[in-house]
Amino acid sequence: MEIIDIKALSFQYPESDNYALDGVNFHVKQGEFVVIGGPSGCGKTTLLHLLKKEISPHGLQSGDISYIGKPLDEWDERTLIEEIGLVFQDPENQIIMDDVMQELVFGMENLGYSPIDMRLRLAEMVHTFSVEHLLHQKTTALSGGQKQLLNLLSALLLKPRVLLLDEPTSQLDPVAAKDLLMMLERLNKELGITVIIVEHRLENIFDKADRVVFMNEGKIIHDGKSREVIQQIYNRQDHRFFPYIPSISQMYLELHHAPTIDRIPLNVNEGRTELASLPSMNHVEKIENKVMNTDTEPIIEAKDVYFQYEQGSSMVLRKLSFSLNRGDFYAVMGGNGSGKTTLLKTCLGLLKPQRGSVKRFGRKLTHKSIDSVHQNIAYLSQQPQTFFIQDTIEKEMQLIAEQHEIQDSEKRIKSLLNLFGIEHLRNRHPYDCSGGEVQKAALACMLLTKPSILFMDEPTKGLDPVSKIHLQSILRKLHSDGLTILMVTHDIEFTAKTATKCAMLFDGEITAEALPHAFFTGNYFYTTSINRLTQNSQYPEALTLEEVLHSWQEHELA
Amino acid sequence: MLTLAMYFNHPIFLVTILLLLIFVNISHDRGKDLRKWLPTLSIMSTLIILINPFLVSRGTTILFYFRGKQVTLEAFMYGITMALFIAIILVVFISFNLILNGNRFLYIFSKILPRIALMIMMAIRFVPLMKRRLNEIGDVQRLRGMSMTVGDFKTRVRNGMLRVQILLTWSLEEAIHVTNSMKARGYGTEGKKSSYTLYFMDKRDWVWLFILAGLMMLCFYGGRLGYGQMIIYPELGPWQFFWIDWIVFCSMFIITSFPLFIEGREKIRWKLSI
Repeated sequence: MEIIDIKALSFQYPESDNYALDGVNFHVKQGEFVVIGGPSGCGKTTLLHLLKKEISPHGLQSGDISYIGKPLDEWDERTLIEEIGLVFQDPENQIIMDDVMQELVFGMENLGYSPIDMRLRLAEMVHTFSVEHLLHQKTTALSGGQKQLLNLLSALLLKPRVLLLDEPTSQLDPVAAKDLLMMLERLNKELGITVIIVEHRLENIFDKADRVVFMNEGKIIHDGKSREVIQQIYNRQDHRFFPYIPSISQMYLELHHAPTIDRIPLNVNEGRTELASLPSMNHVEKIENKVMNTDTEPIIEAKDVYFQYEQGSSMVLRKLSFSLNRGDFYAVMGGNGSGKTTLLKTCLGLLKPQRGSVKRFGRKLTHKSIDSVHQNIAYLSQQPQTFFIQDTIEKEMQLIAEQHEIQDSEKRIKSLLNLFGIEHLRNRHPYDCSGGEVQKAALACMLLTKPSILFMDEPTKGLDPVSKIHLQSILRKLHSDGLTILMVTHDIEFTAKTATKCAMLFDGEITAEALPHAFFTGNYFYTTSINRLTQNSQYPEALTLEEVLHSWQEHELA
Repeated sequence: MLTLAMYFNHPIFLVTILLLLIFVNISHDRGKDLRKWLPTLSIMSTLIILINPFLVSRGTTILFYFRGKQVTLEAFMYGITMALFIAIILVVFISFNLILNGNRFLYIFSKILPRIALMIMMAIRFVPLMKRRLNEIGDVQRLRGMSMTVGDFKTRVRNGMLRVQILLTWSLEEAIHVTNSMKARGYGTEGKKSSYTLYFMDKRDWVWLFILAGLMMLCFYGGRLGYGQMIIYPELGPWQFFWIDWIVFCSMFIITSFPLFIEGREKIRWKLSI
């Protein structure tokens, strides 16, 4: 039975010449788990929001959307609110109340359920998902993953038949993201709830989904079962969507001489089975990082740093020592709440450690020195939009050029905009750009003053795979041009592809510091999926698909 | 209790009320919040006690002359009662704040003013959120050289204003998501909003309410007749208590110490059961 039926749907935002959706036909069967992917601005979020009538955007709409055989407009408001639930992208912005319980019952209260009914539903739901311990907490005290779980539960309390999710994991760390996806899988399998999820991080979702849909420029490009879509993209050599395919499946398709559709591996386990059937390359030597940074001049030196936010609270940093050398691309990894951002802010001088010292360029950081040496450093925060004070990107860059008396600024602005590929956004308001675009714009502005160190806080958060690859190549280029980079992140794949030195922050100190290869290989969870696949196999242990393919070519030549 | 304090102005009455309230407050959170307020409280009281006699020259018992103006005992006493009164109000509000969290607050007001109650709740949640955002903006802007700690006054103010401007743009942008989330969960649909948390009044509550109301009436009546009050102007009255004063004093004592009595009973029960 078809629960959602969309025919020839087109949609145009006011004051826009392009169609956000262009003749979309889309059907979802009852109980299906559908994943929608595609680059930012491809219309996937618009499609999702149009399905939820209360928040559907204003604009020109043509075509039909029906829910269980009846157009959306003919259903009464209440039924739609109850039966179609929606979870948004940012965990923070959807929470309205101060208290977890109040937040959970918010929807039920609005619809005027009786107290007995509410109690029953709440008791059932809280018990099923074992969140009793959260019930009486303040919503501000929750972690990102817990917040998103809370949002999911408050949608579930209305007993929806369809659950819509708009990039629910984009703000979460990998562990929390996996938990949320498992939860969705369970809801889908056990309760038969239809799940439609818009997502960027598809590495773990392909084997859960019944169907995968890829969109671009308002049109549906690929639509089918996970493996079918992967093969379709491969056969058509549709490079736009290559970054969305799990690297394990890519490896299989690249290396196997006669790939068959139903054997495409979607997870590590299947990958291992398939690996046995791939040609072996025994005599290729072990892959190791060849690039060694020989420069040992420390730019930042932290020694025995202790930090706590409040007196009596636990120590976030404990006897932490590390040094950042000129020319490093240093990645600090660690779970949520391990103190990564605190470490970064301490190095920036924004937080003053209780004990220990932080030296930058050999000088101790003081309140005064932060304000005087800012030209030398750039800081990309998790919210890059906070950087902008002008209403267009161009004006912002001109202002910076003026402040720092930069010579032939117009030429530099132009070359930076070109480097980041955002020339077309020149006259755009920063808030009208997508997350990835704002980030690039902020970076371009910061690089105008030619800083020697770049600090980044979770640069890949909320980025789609294509933007991520773009960012990766830009950072590599900047690094090879001599920029020293310190980044804190939990994106393993991204780190494996960019960093020259990795460290793990655990229990307030840097516990392991090594070159990426030594750092990741041998880890059980904390490593890339390609590495998990190639560990203890007939292949040399690799971190990324590129490495596997590279050594494969070497093997072919040999 | 506020009304009681307004009704009586006898210093002994006021001091008793204040002491009892402080104990009540300590029983809530060991006086953590109270301690934060203590400096303000003591400075304010001292100021009132010291300033009042110099501003007001009513009263007949003249202590001394200050720049040709009479400083009277009556005005001095009046200052003390005023200071006690203000201290009582503050302590009551501190307790009020501790006991009445957002949830209960919303419950009480949502019956009368549902929309406004929700708005207040949201405001309570968004203040810390905004504060966090402003910190984040401050960090980013400071590192790009828009500092609020160096430069002349004008630049600092301008940089500060810029931060607020960024905060507003950002928060407005985010507010759209908040409204979407509210709408998606049926806020503003027709029909009555119900409430999950119910605070029931059981039989014991009614009995206690009745007793308290009775004592309250007694106090009011006594106060009406002038008991528990002290004549200050034009001439300071006697300190002495009549037997009706004592009755009024006892009923006031019971009313004010009621929370202490309840909490104390619980504590004793716990201790004894071990």
